[in-house]
Amino acid sequence: MILDLHNHSVASDDARARVENYCQWIRRRELPLDGFVLTEHRQFDAASDYRRLEDEFGLRILKGSEVETDYGHVLVFGVNEAMQRAFDFGRIGLPLAGVLEFVKRCGGVAVPCHPGRPRVGLVAHVAARGPVEGVSIIETRNGGSRGSEDAESIAFAERCGYAAIGGSDAHIVSHIGRCATRFPRAIRDEADLVAALGEGGFEAIRWG
Amino acid sequence: MGMTAQEVKARWAGTVFDRVEVEARGEDMLEFALACGETDPRYVDPAHPDFQAPVNFTTVYHGARMLPDDFPNFDLRRMIDAGKAVEWKRPLRPGERLGAQSSLYDIYEKTGRSGVMLFLVHRMEFRNPREELVAVVDWRLTIRGGLE
Repeated sequence: MILDLHNHSVASDDARARVENYCQWIRRRELPLDGFVLTEHRQFDAASDYRRLEDEFGLRILKGSEVETDYGHVLVFGVNEAMQRAFDFGRIGLPLAGVLEFVKRCGGVAVPCHPGRPRVGLVAHVAARGPVEGVSIIETRNGGSRGSEDAESIAFAERCGYAAIGGSDAHIVSHIGRCATRFPRAIRDEADLVAALGEGGFEAIRWG
Repeated sequence: MGMTAQEVKARWAGTVFDRVEVEARGEDMLEFALACGETDPRYVDPAHPDFQAPVNFTTVYHGARMLPDDFPNFDLRRMIDAGKAVEWKRPLRPGERLGAQSSLYDIYEKTGRSGVMLFLVHRMEFRNPREELVAVVDWRLTIRGGLE
């Protein structure tokens, strides 16, 4: 199963894409995606229900979040009520080690994203301030990466023995499906995604 | 100045700090519509029975103040315009007078490739003399580096 694990909709302050338009684009362009995850900036969009779109377009639409830590941005998968009650998604500069540990304790997975970005990504922060305990997966294929940023991320994952995911980081409709993650099995919901990330055997992919 | 974004938000978010009155002139509506490349006769033909302002017309108006008088000082050279979003509520006709109220609707920060940015959402609500809401304009202002 191929899921694009990093996308933003109009629920994020800097995105212009409606979820239905992502679905239409995927089908119209015959993109090889089985679904995608909405990772809205500094929030969890608990209210939106995409089951009708899932049925209409035959796509899996899951929800996560992208939070901001002292080591760069981090995708959070498997957001649940316990996490929503105790976690300040809107704060920037959250301590990465704390986020990794807290999300894991709540039954989710936290994944540093676009780590190869100069100055603000995980790779730069680790070089400046040392490693952080608890990282096991990073995003090595990001649709918004420039130049050699993904190459930096891939090399960093190999050096550290991290597993790798891919996501488009789409903010507009035509950017979905640039990167994704191929899983060796089907994924039904957010809890299943967390389980699959724990099992391993997935790979980051980029098209074009 | 040492205030965190949370402190700034707690102090100033929701603060109404300015009220002005404007008159929507037909010639301004037409000029704006033509500048936007509108072709719909409702916007570019003043003789049309349904002539009205384009939906984004209220973005031309400014209040007397950009921020509350007691808002913390910062280096204006670090501030950039992050765009306007318009919520159109009802047609605006030539000669209508509008009361416009400015508030700091939201304050938040985020990090991007260039580091920390503080966002101020300056909201102008436009009402006609019957107190009906005509348009809401959210103007985002970005302060690179935050208030520092």
